[in-house]
Amino acid sequence: MRPINGQAFANRDFVGARVVDPALGLDAVRTIVVRRGVITALLEGAPAATDADTERIDCAGMVLCPGFIDPHVHLREPGDTHKETLATGLAAAAAGGFTAVAAMPNTRPALDTAERVRRLRADAAALHGTRCYPIGAITLDRAGTDIAPLRSMAAAGAVAFSDDGAATRSLKALYNAARYVLDLPQAFLSHCDDPSFESGLVDAGDKSDLLGIAATPSVSEAAIAARDIMVAQATGKRWHLCHVSAAQTVELLAFARGAGINVTAEVTPHHLQCTDDLLAGYDARYRVNPPLRTAADTAAMRKGVADGAITIFASDHAPHATSEKEPPLSHACVGYSGLETAVGATFHALAGLNIATLVSNFSTNPAALLGIPGGTLAPGTPADITGLYLQHPWTVDPARFRSTGRITPFAGKTFEVKPALTVVGGAVLMRDGELHPDGVPRALASLRSPS
Amino acid sequence: MTKTRHLLDLDDADRPFIEALCTRARQFKAGLPNEHLRLRGAIVLGMFFEASTRTRISFATAASRLGATWIDFSTGASSLAKGESLEDTMLTVRAIGADAIVVRHSEAGFPHALARYFQGAVINAGDGAHAHPTQGLLDAMTLLEEFGDLTRRRLVICGDIAHSRVARSSGRAAHLLGMSVTLCGPPLLLPGSSPGWGFAQLTAELDPLLPKTDAIMMLRIQKERADGSEMPPPADLAAAYGLTEERARLLPPQAIIMHPGPVNRDVELAASLVRDPRSRIERQVENGVYVRMAALEQCLGQPARERAA
Repeated sequence: MRPINGQAFANRDFVGARVVDPALGLDAVRTIVVRRGVITALLEGAPAATDADTERIDCAGMVLCPGFIDPHVHLREPGDTHKETLATGLAAAAAGGFTAVAAMPNTRPALDTAERVRRLRADAAALHGTRCYPIGAITLDRAGTDIAPLRSMAAAGAVAFSDDGAATRSLKALYNAARYVLDLPQAFLSHCDDPSFESGLVDAGDKSDLLGIAATPSVSEAAIAARDIMVAQATGKRWHLCHVSAAQTVELLAFARGAGINVTAEVTPHHLQCTDDLLAGYDARYRVNPPLRTAADTAAMRKGVADGAITIFASDHAPHATSEKEPPLSHACVGYSGLETAVGATFHALAGLNIATLVSNFSTNPAALLGIPGGTLAPGTPADITGLYLQHPWTVDPARFRSTGRITPFAGKTFEVKPALTVVGGAVLMRDGELHPDGVPRALASLRSPS
Repeated sequence: MTKTRHLLDLDDADRPFIEALCTRARQFKAGLPNEHLRLRGAIVLGMFFEASTRTRISFATAASRLGATWIDFSTGASSLAKGESLEDTMLTVRAIGADAIVVRHSEAGFPHALARYFQGAVINAGDGAHAHPTQGLLDAMTLLEEFGDLTRRRLVICGDIAHSRVARSSGRAAHLLGMSVTLCGPPLLLPGSSPGWGFAQLTAELDPLLPKTDAIMMLRIQKERADGSEMPPPADLAAAYGLTEERARLLPPQAIIMHPGPVNRDVELAASLVRDPRSRIERQVENGVYVRMAALEQCLGQPARERAA
């Protein structure tokens, strides 16, 4: 019985790969047996025979991991479909090796009602691609003043709450919002940047001194991080800091961990390795928030990952039309297209770090943060699998992105690690760079139905 | 058309470049035959998005003296203001036949953006807090006229350093000519690390500097580039960093007083010092025309008869 257009179930054996699952403490050659979209066994050696309903996929030379989850993407629907659509964004996710993404609520209008959350889930599910989980706004229209309908958004399927794009302006609103949904599992995700510095174009430091442009210093991030960590401590709410970029913030995370505060943090591929040198010549393409900072900051990010202060990777995929990234700098939109380079760029920046940590940060830890299925290949879980080639140098060519957004700080860079396989619910979305190699997009829709 | 060269900032300039332009400017000042033929037929477009009196008129005078035609681009009524992209405006300007653009804008890096799209020469007449290269050159020329060899001479730039494009360009030009440059102001308005911009000493105390100063350049507070959360009240700053008659008495006898203008009298500079014998403020303005002639000639390449050939 072959599956039809994603509505039925996929039976596949993934054979011959090194399988790395930190959640199981596994790093060995295994066959992943998938029946009806669910992992049923991890076998030593190949199965004796494969029946007619089952496809055998040779994965020799690959590392298979629990599906990678990007907890921080901007998919631009509704409101900015010239930058990206759900279809192009989720195609980029599949191409980049991601089996699930969480979409930030800074759409137009903002994702601040149950109806919009439900709609986004349904529209994404209809694409039968990478799973897409909505994040609801904390405050109405992300304005930072009035608490959004958090409980109905949670019921509609919001997996977390954030005013991403800005810090929640009112401390009182943030504190009360956290207390309002204290009993719900959805975490609060903070964009740490003080609103009074919103005109900043680069990091404050020698570079901004020379260029003479408005700057956002590290303290703009660290002060809000400290504020929000204090709110997490005061309320007990599960908390998470988005895209940390400043060495000072990593110090705060160490403090929070020592104090037993329930807060995690993510870092982007660019904040692991790109510095404000890219802004020399006022190149508007490289404008991003938080801004690129110094080599000392990128080193602190890498050390933060190695030390366990930072436990999650996120692309902060922020696609824009190329014409929106033109000079002058103050007119340029903020952010990079990230889904198709995140895996290569992150492994590149952290070469030498053990693979179990890298896979945890790409899969197990974001799954736990968002409370979604996946993060492990344990039998009984949906067959969401990411395959990698660890030694397969490739060069970033934005012209070949599936994303509409083509601006990346990594154009022309060569990375060693390449996504080789993206499997969602047992269906193969990407293999060797080709999307839907079976010819039919047949991934299952999101398995977590609204509660 | 011969190859053109932009003048966007002095960030990558070297000593021979500064010296060559200052030398040429001094030749213009001494008088060159047929100067009005040197850029005959060239069209120079002035695009001033920020208010300017002296710089705009200085450039227009320089262009006229070289025989070029100066056209004021009316920025408020332009297609840019109506939403046309910068790239399209530049294509239009080029198609119409402008050879050079002299641009001032409140945003740092704006001339660099123009230079991406415009095939002719772009001369920066001030971009935000970043650069004002012809001011740097005219200050260099004024200092060279005054002291000859500038090696180990001491320049103090005082006031609102952070928001000053003059400090960046004039400080760098003086540094390239061998001067010891000290930036003086409250820590909020100084570069964040020392040496500032890679070459300048930093200090928050003015008085101890004065007896060891050869030239002091006073800056006005750039209120247009900072709000009350970024800048102290002017009177507060002036009390600590204004050049009063009393402070001027601490300067050595040969020291000169400079100011890029416009002066806020009795704020950063005592009114009585504006026309003091030590003041070179008028000289700076005068020299501005000659360095702009040199800059226009440099950027537009060749004398007119060769350009026409």
